[in-house]
Amino acid sequence: MASTGRTVRPRVAVAKFASCDGCQLTLLDLEEQLLEIVTRFDIVEFPEATSRHSPGPYDVVFVEGSISAPEHLDQIKALRKQTRLLVTIGACATAGGIQALRNLADHDAFRAAIYEHPEWIESLATATPVSEHVKVDAELRGCPIDGNQLLELLTAVLVGRRPQIREEAVCRECKRKSIVCMVVARGEPCMGPMTVDGCGALCPSYGRGCYGCFGPRTGVNAKAWAAGLQRSGRPPEEVWRLFAGFTGYAEPFRTVLTELGTAKK
Amino acid sequence: LISNPVPSATAVARQWFLARDDLDSLIQALRKSGRKVIGPTVHDGAIVLDEIESAAELPAGLRDDQSAGQYRLAERNDDRLFGYTVGPTSWKRFTFPAKLTISTSHRTNFGFDQPADDPPELAFLGVRACEIAALGIQDRVFLGGPFTDEDFRARRKAALIVAVQCTTWSGTCFCSSMGTGPEVRSGYDILLTEIEDGFVMQAGSPAGASIVAHLPTRKPTHAETGAAVDSVEAVRTALGEPLPMKGIDERLKHQLDNPRWGVVAERCVECGNCTMSCPTCFCTSVVERSDMEGKVSTTDRLWDSCFDVNFARVAGGDFRARPRDRYRQWLTHKFSSWMDQFGTFGCVGCGRCITWCPVRIDVREELEAIAPVIQPIDRPVAVEPAAASPGAYSIARLAAVKEETEDTTTLTLTDLDPAFLAGRPGQFVMIAEPGFPAVPISISRFRSTGIDLTIRAVGPTSTALDNLHPGAKVGLRGPLGTFWPIEDAYGRHAVVVAGGVGMAPLRGLVDALVADRDRFECVSLYYGSRTPEDQLFRDDLRAWAAGKAIDVAVTVDRAGPEWKGRVGVVTTLFDTMDCDCARITAFVVGPERMMQASVQSLISKGVPPERIMVSMERHMECGIGLCGHCQTGPFFVCKDGPVFRLSELGDLYVREGI
Repeated sequence: MASTGRTVRPRVAVAKFASCDGCQLTLLDLEEQLLEIVTRFDIVEFPEATSRHSPGPYDVVFVEGSISAPEHLDQIKALRKQTRLLVTIGACATAGGIQALRNLADHDAFRAAIYEHPEWIESLATATPVSEHVKVDAELRGCPIDGNQLLELLTAVLVGRRPQIREEAVCRECKRKSIVCMVVARGEPCMGPMTVDGCGALCPSYGRGCYGCFGPRTGVNAKAWAAGLQRSGRPPEEVWRLFAGFTGYAEPFRTVLTELGTAKK
Repeated sequence: LISNPVPSATAVARQWFLARDDLDSLIQALRKSGRKVIGPTVHDGAIVLDEIESAAELPAGLRDDQSAGQYRLAERNDDRLFGYTVGPTSWKRFTFPAKLTISTSHRTNFGFDQPADDPPELAFLGVRACEIAALGIQDRVFLGGPFTDEDFRARRKAALIVAVQCTTWSGTCFCSSMGTGPEVRSGYDILLTEIEDGFVMQAGSPAGASIVAHLPTRKPTHAETGAAVDSVEAVRTALGEPLPMKGIDERLKHQLDNPRWGVVAERCVECGNCTMSCPTCFCTSVVERSDMEGKVSTTDRLWDSCFDVNFARVAGGDFRARPRDRYRQWLTHKFSSWMDQFGTFGCVGCGRCITWCPVRIDVREELEAIAPVIQPIDRPVAVEPAAASPGAYSIARLAAVKEETEDTTTLTLTDLDPAFLAGRPGQFVMIAEPGFPAVPISISRFRSTGIDLTIRAVGPTSTALDNLHPGAKVGLRGPLGTFWPIEDAYGRHAVVVAGGVGMAPLRGLVDALVADRDRFECVSLYYGSRTPEDQLFRDDLRAWAAGKAIDVAVTVDRAGPEWKGRVGVVTTLFDTMDCDCARITAFVVGPERMMQASVQSLISKGVPPERIMVSMERHMECGIGLCGHCQTGPFFVCKDGPVFRLSELGDLYVREGI
């Protein structure tokens, strides 16, 4: 991309599926860098910022949200065809998000419990990450995504290199920041050992356990943590809820949930 | 290397007393000398190290209760300022920052710049013995080789060390095992020992002495200096017997394939908290940040961890792909290869990796399980044989005969030399009948006035012996050979695995385990035979099972419809084992194939090879290592065995044709 230089700015679009728009807002929240970003990128589609629409092809598309409704299936495939670099952003697009909890439950019963006329609701039985449907070139995790990671990705696109996004436990950042481990010192549950950092240990630095919104690290030993939490006195229902948060549909959390669910029955 | 202040004898002899209420004068004197004071203070339920401005910020009257995966503050019933041990922060944070910008590079005005700021002048207040040792270890790592870390050197030089003797301990402390504590002996500028009303002080350097000179001290009384010495000594006593660290570096080198690595990796979540809390771990990674054009980039060095999945990755793959590889890397580095690289252990026994492990892995337990100190088998034969050389026999009388199976009979011999009664389970005798060559038979029971020999009629001598009647006389040589090292199972789970007539040399062992039952955590007998009819000692099996002192599980390879028990080879019984297999000491005898299968199964479950005892059957004629028949590798099985520790035999055991 380095060769595109300044005269031909990369065409960037932001697309949305089933999501709350919070990840798109992270782009707007990069206030100090916004001017530079729009100087260097041609942002042609951005529903949270502008009603302007431009057809593809696009150089970069940031996709927010999970594939959750029947029309999404065709839309994401069409979008992929017009996109050089497809980047999923946020827990919904990368892991299915909180709405993917329905994948582990009875979708029809959910619908009937919430909507007066469930027959008017057209939704898929599952909410799935974009990567289950099309090839994804890069992903930014979190609920919402982290501004610095987004900036690093944009920079990498401009400079023409791979983004430097580390894949390490939230614990690592807690220790670097000298945040006292609440699991050990206060007996409180935390998903930090399981979860890939990217937020800079945001929740623990405010005294709350990690919710796991960035999702599991590659190959993480989720069974061991589920067992460890139970050994320290957490009932299986609580452990289930810890793993079932924003990224419960992502493996290996999904396996833990299935096993805990079976154990409960 | 940083020259650690080594106090001179006169300096040590010179002591002062500072009242507890006057400790703030020390902090203020340090601040007045232009230093920031870093000391212990309470934050988020733990005692961390941070900048303090007065003694009021110290954790007065608190203690820290620590165990694997757990840390809690609690009230002391006094107002001591240092009445706790070490918390989550280690001093390396201030000499080796968790995040450090090491260079800035520019494309336009091409170049790489290193930051040139002088580090802040700090005073470390409350450095414990283990932590002084940790700083010394990082000195060797960063400054001891041809390439050095100058940022570390500058920070280390800029730190004045006010050490504090530990007068308390926590459940995860093991400094006395690592030889780093509990007492501070050197490496300090000022040393404090907290006693009832204040501190006994010493200066370890001119810089320390000049600070002390400004304080409202007085000469301590003999009672005060005595109390200071006693309180540190009390910690050493409380820490108990040190762990057997001598030689652990060598022992670990032989345990790279120990299955326990896999067992601990199943518990480990690879959060890396052990390495991040460790005061000596020094691994880092660099990350680059650049502006959007890539014109100006900054290189930051971050604390990293060998538990990171990408830590040993190259483009083509990962050199330590499995969690067990990474756990092994960490532990063997700390306790073995660190010694090769830097001449010390990489561990000081501070216990942080134990306390701050969220899944409660205790490195002390892992070391004990992976590389235990194995006392050599107590080789001296307990008793001088009554007769040993071929041709010389001691006479015994047959008192009773009991048919065990169709072809196996137990002979009870009495009126024999007392040496036979003093034999040990696992030993054997050479038994002869006039006209028949002597055969080796293990002693299957020791009685107050005699011994049992259980003999399967397979050759001319054994057939002749099985046909004897009470009152008959036989010739005996023995007792011979090695015996079961029962002491090895003290405090552990004793597992007896018998196959077929292999039960014979194990019955005496089971007798001994039952007689001494309280010494073992639990005792299990797993016995497999071809058919129900081939079982030996059925009365004993019934009595042991009924007595409940030991668990008895039996199986047969094949059975008729009247058999209600288990069918299958003996290793299928192992699936019922419900214990930490690393805590097993196993005793195995049976047909060769059954023994090999059992041994392999035990190892795969995590029983250390040092804890598996086998009794070998070989052709024996003389029984005393002279005829050569029973040679197996370097051993004469009759004299050096028949009982061996599997680790002694190595791969001789599973190799055919030896």
